[in-house]
Amino acid sequence: MPVVKAVTCPVCGSLCDDIELTVENNNIVKVKNGCAMCESKFLGYNSEHRVLRPLIRKNGKLIETSFEEAIRNAAKILTEANYPILYGWSSTSCEAIRVGLELAEEVGGVIDNTAVVCHGPSLLSVQEVGIPSCTLGQIRHRADLIIYWGSNPWSAHPRHIERYTTYAEGRFEKSAWKGYLNKIKALLAKKKIESSIRRLFLKKKPTVHESISKEPPETLSRKGRKFIVVDVRKTKTAEMADYFIQVEPNKDYELLQALRALVRDEEIDVDKVAGVPIECLEEVVDVMVNCSFGALFFGLGLTMSKGKLRNIDTALSLIKDLNMRTKFVLMPMRGHFNVTGANTVFTWQTGYPYAVDFSLGYPRYNPGETTVVDILLRRESDAALVIASDPVANFPTKTVEHLVKNPLIVIDPHMNVTSHMADVVIPSAFVGIEAEGTAYRMDHVPLPLKKIVEPPNGIHSDEEILRRILAEVRKIKNKNEEEA
Amino acid sequence: MEILIKNGIVYDPINGINGEKMDIAVKNGKIVEKVNESTALHIDASEMIVMPGGVDIHSHIAGGKVNSGRLLRPEDHFKDYEPKTSITRSGVGYSIPSTFTTGYRYAKMGYTTVMEPAMPPLEAKHTHEEFNDIPIIDKAAYPLIGDWWFVLEYLREGKIEECARYVAWMIISTKGYAIKIVNPGGLETWGFGRNVASLDDQVPHFCITPREILRGLCKVNKLLNLPHTIHVHTNNLGIPGNYITALDTMKCIEDLADEGKPAIHITHCQFSAFKGDDWRTFRSGAEEIAHYVNAHTHLTMDMGQVIFTDTTTMTADGPFQFNLYQLTGNKWTNHDVETETCSGIVPFRYRRKSFVHAVQWSIGLELALLIKNPWKIFMTTDHPNGGPFTAYPKIIAWLMSTKAREATMKKINRKARNRSLLPSIDRELSFYEIAIVTRAGQAKALGLSNKGHLGIGADADIAIYNINPETSDPSKDYRTIRKAFEQATYTIKGGKIVVKNGEIVKQVKGVTMWLDIHTSEPVKISEDMKRRFKEYWTVEYENYPVTEHYLENSYPIKVKASV
Amino acid sequence: MITLYPLKEFKHPIIAESINPEFFQGKSIQEIGSLKIWEGNKERKLRELFKIEEDKADNPTITIHGNIGKVRKIGKKMEKGEITIYGNVGMHLGEEMKGGKITVHGNADSWVGSMMKGGTIEIHGDAGDYLGAPYRGSNEGMHGGKIIVHGNVRSEAGAHMRKGIIKIYGNASQFAGFRMRGGTIYIQKDAEERVGACMSDGKIVICGFLKSVLPTFTIEGIKKKVKIEEDEKAVGPFYLFRGDLTEKGEGKLYVSKEKNPHLSYYEKFL
Repeated sequence: MPVVKAVTCPVCGSLCDDIELTVENNNIVKVKNGCAMCESKFLGYNSEHRVLRPLIRKNGKLIETSFEEAIRNAAKILTEANYPILYGWSSTSCEAIRVGLELAEEVGGVIDNTAVVCHGPSLLSVQEVGIPSCTLGQIRHRADLIIYWGSNPWSAHPRHIERYTTYAEGRFEKSAWKGYLNKIKALLAKKKIESSIRRLFLKKKPTVHESISKEPPETLSRKGRKFIVVDVRKTKTAEMADYFIQVEPNKDYELLQALRALVRDEEIDVDKVAGVPIECLEEVVDVMVNCSFGALFFGLGLTMSKGKLRNIDTALSLIKDLNMRTKFVLMPMRGHFNVTGANTVFTWQTGYPYAVDFSLGYPRYNPGETTVVDILLRRESDAALVIASDPVANFPTKTVEHLVKNPLIVIDPHMNVTSHMADVVIPSAFVGIEAEGTAYRMDHVPLPLKKIVEPPNGIHSDEEILRRILAEVRKIKNKNEEEA
Repeated sequence: MEILIKNGIVYDPINGINGEKMDIAVKNGKIVEKVNESTALHIDASEMIVMPGGVDIHSHIAGGKVNSGRLLRPEDHFKDYEPKTSITRSGVGYSIPSTFTTGYRYAKMGYTTVMEPAMPPLEAKHTHEEFNDIPIIDKAAYPLIGDWWFVLEYLREGKIEECARYVAWMIISTKGYAIKIVNPGGLETWGFGRNVASLDDQVPHFCITPREILRGLCKVNKLLNLPHTIHVHTNNLGIPGNYITALDTMKCIEDLADEGKPAIHITHCQFSAFKGDDWRTFRSGAEEIAHYVNAHTHLTMDMGQVIFTDTTTMTADGPFQFNLYQLTGNKWTNHDVETETCSGIVPFRYRRKSFVHAVQWSIGLELALLIKNPWKIFMTTDHPNGGPFTAYPKIIAWLMSTKAREATMKKINRKARNRSLLPSIDRELSFYEIAIVTRAGQAKALGLSNKGHLGIGADADIAIYNINPETSDPSKDYRTIRKAFEQATYTIKGGKIVVKNGEIVKQVKGVTMWLDIHTSEPVKISEDMKRRFKEYWTVEYENYPVTEHYLENSYPIKVKASV
Repeated sequence: MITLYPLKEFKHPIIAESINPEFFQGKSIQEIGSLKIWEGNKERKLRELFKIEEDKADNPTITIHGNIGKVRKIGKKMEKGEITIYGNVGMHLGEEMKGGKITVHGNADSWVGSMMKGGTIEIHGDAGDYLGAPYRGSNEGMHGGKIIVHGNVRSEAGAHMRKGIIKIYGNASQFAGFRMRGGTIYIQKDAEERVGACMSDGKIVICGFLKSVLPTFTIEGIKKKVKIEEDEKAVGPFYLFRGDLTEKGEGKLYVSKEKNPHLSYYEKFL
């Protein structure tokens, strides 16, 4: 059976590219090296939710139609609109996004990607402060301090820690995996002792202190890679860490500012910040300042908690401050496999990473004003194209009401919730499985997406579908001009 | 299509043509002996200057760093935008224009070939994807190889030929054009937040010095018979007193050059020509550098001229950008690339009234004027580091007119004015010399045999400017000259008229040039190599190279190596 | 004097940079009606969207009656004259304004007086986010002029402010005076947390309740009163904090003592 090696996984922003797939009769039958998310994608993508024929709404019902008819309908909707929105893009290829931008420009619409509901605030603060960062390999080779803040890679980016950070083997820093195993062993041994004590003395609760307490543990002062987690709750990732800081919900900003002050040797009037005693923060700052290469990863726990872009603003400022003392980088944990690519292509064509408004004939950008969620909230759009995304399932109810009230085109391999509400549904091939393309890893490293199997008959790639719509739009516009 | 450009006043330095009135014939995208006069499209270029299309040897126009710069600066774009037309795509400027706008703005100035000088190999696909969206102009990119671990390791072990084979593999894999070296050794050192301070500092963990890297790669360049020399951004860039480092860099490969042939290109030399012990005692080191360059034949350089404007500095020199951030407190982006290189970005405003900035402005012009041979120093701003490329016509005016220089001098910082060498220099470049520093010299240094000239068989990349050299005096009418160079009357790219009266009239796709290097024994990709690859990078070997898929208009140039 | 009435309830964003007294001055009503204005992605003439009436008085004044909550960039780069709006108005009112006066009898959306350099804007209702704040990525905040809001404002009022004065007679949401470098922000009622975050200079006065002061501010003293403007003082007593310590730390934050007994904790450091 043929085995395809070095396949890039089109699931999360880690974009692992060492997946091996066994293919039999145009079917993927085995996945090697992947995490659970990867396996379920490659083995389960062709589920019953798949649509295989384009649909259009007639008399309130979605009925099957030809590809050409669906394209014509889509083009007509977009051409007639006064303020259409084109949303999604983070789960498709850069090649498709390129065409999508051209289409948005042609119809004078607003094009936005899913960053608007995840790391949009991070991008806004990068635009104000800058970002000291690097590629993931740099962290694998050099970082002796890893911090995850408001992010739980164990469940959202399962191979991130083993491939790129704490448990990866680098040139100058060794994997901390052994240390972790020892810790687990010690933990198990302790549990055994506890249970025997219980049995002997029939006590309900033994008095053995927790492995991760409020006091910074000794592991923080040992040599080798150190691993800190900051979060509002003790996640699975936090359990693995050498030190876990539990921050009060919505107090990340205060905590980060306090860390900044301490890095700058300023004194703080209060005894506790965000529920954490200053002494603990001082210890952590010591570890930060004394590391030789530190890396901070942050997730939606930071970008979407109170303060949003300003939380990232202060995190970025903290890392800038730390660079006066040592080497430190930070990186957002991007979710969708090509949201970084969407931001990248948007930026090279228009200068702006998301929320680009072409209504005046040139790119304009002002999140809050030109972001799709806000436009829908203010009920300003009059048509929408949604690609590789399911806003009806994820957006606030009020925005969905307006989205489905107007003509809606959906391009997606699956019949998702948004498709059910659509006026035109164009099924597409899975990029990275049935179509090739390019995606950008969370650290901006571009990787090729492979075509492993043939798509079902009559199913085209996102890129092809968009090209067809664009051509049709131009045809309609030319005709309109001739008539005028 | 056939075109006949009639009665233009032609400046074609490579063919020794200095302002002769003559016709240029174009057929199938090439310059030809003659065309069918009755069917060819006639362009009346009488009383106008005809030159080969402009060539830019060093301009950051595409790739990860440039795009991070775009992302960083919405406030740079929002006042400078280009609406969509029936021919062109929309976009934004100013200091880091979006891809389409970059192509259009170059073409409007009569430029047709631009080299992106800093491509991180791991992210090379990104550079090429952007190239596909830069219309009209031909492009190529220099991969950053100076601090690549393979290079450091092979050079340390003295395995020059082995190193050469891997460099060839890298240039092919990244579809690159030349060996780019930035702050040799300093970039690896920046991996842990430090820098090297001289040519003989050890790179931590690698037991090699910048001098050894420079010499090693210079030998590699020769072994591979690459059309361009090593392209070097010196150590200590942007630090007072660094002219000594620049001189050391030029000297350190003196013995490796063949008679009369350049072996090194020192890029944006202005930033490496600082004298003085600190910013207070800061002075120009242009005289010393020019003195050396005038006495030697083994090098070329470009200016890196500073323009008084708000711009965005971006280089692969991570530690330099960090210094700039500390100096200004502006926003700062850093992006290290595993096993290869790094980069940094800081927005920057050059102010007339700032002593340091005004001295920098002066240094660039001093270099260009004091170096006697225009084939040795080319006009650049190191876009966007010294200022955006759209300021080139301003620099042309400064180079051609003492009056233009004096006009600016009046407005700059007094202390800088008093120290400037410019008042003592009365040299004014001729149109012939301008044609050298903006196209012919650059094409020659790059080894682009079809570019930078109008000889038979050359690519039909032509710029026509509305200046009559017989009646206008650039020394006096420098404003007219500037205007004319801002908006070419015609730009012809590959035999097609793309610009007319400063407006885009046709959109064509330029090519991406790259070196297809043939070594007698190619690099063997053994399992061991793949294992090593896995250890060094976080991507698979199979996913690393830039395939032809990423080059919409691929133009390989065959090179036969001596190894 | 020109009076405008919207002809319909607008659905799409209207970009109306041309509604500016200087553009109207010296023009006939015909010419004014032909000024360009954008509705969604369509370019329109002013008269297609507004009924235009002319008054005898030849002063550069524009009055708008009606709900124009979707109309943006009114009075952009305005240097003189007056605009009065009876109704709610859209974003970017008085962007980069240099002089003259804008009065709104209603609410204003976000980015009122963005990058303002001079003149006066008075909002009798509420104002949105980013009052007087600069464009994305820029640190060139308000350089001068005066903004008065009689109602409440949302977050980041006066971000990156350098000069001038913002007076808020209602409440202010979080991050008022963010990265402020100069000028004065006066909040007559309550302020949400994180006020003055990353400020390096300037003055913020809060007469109402403030739940907590950022840990990166340090107490400096108690002041009886504080100057707001030429011949206007707010009477305290006020706790005076200095910060933000993570930046230059020259900013002054005055918080009413009476309304904030929970801040008495800080008195032990005095």
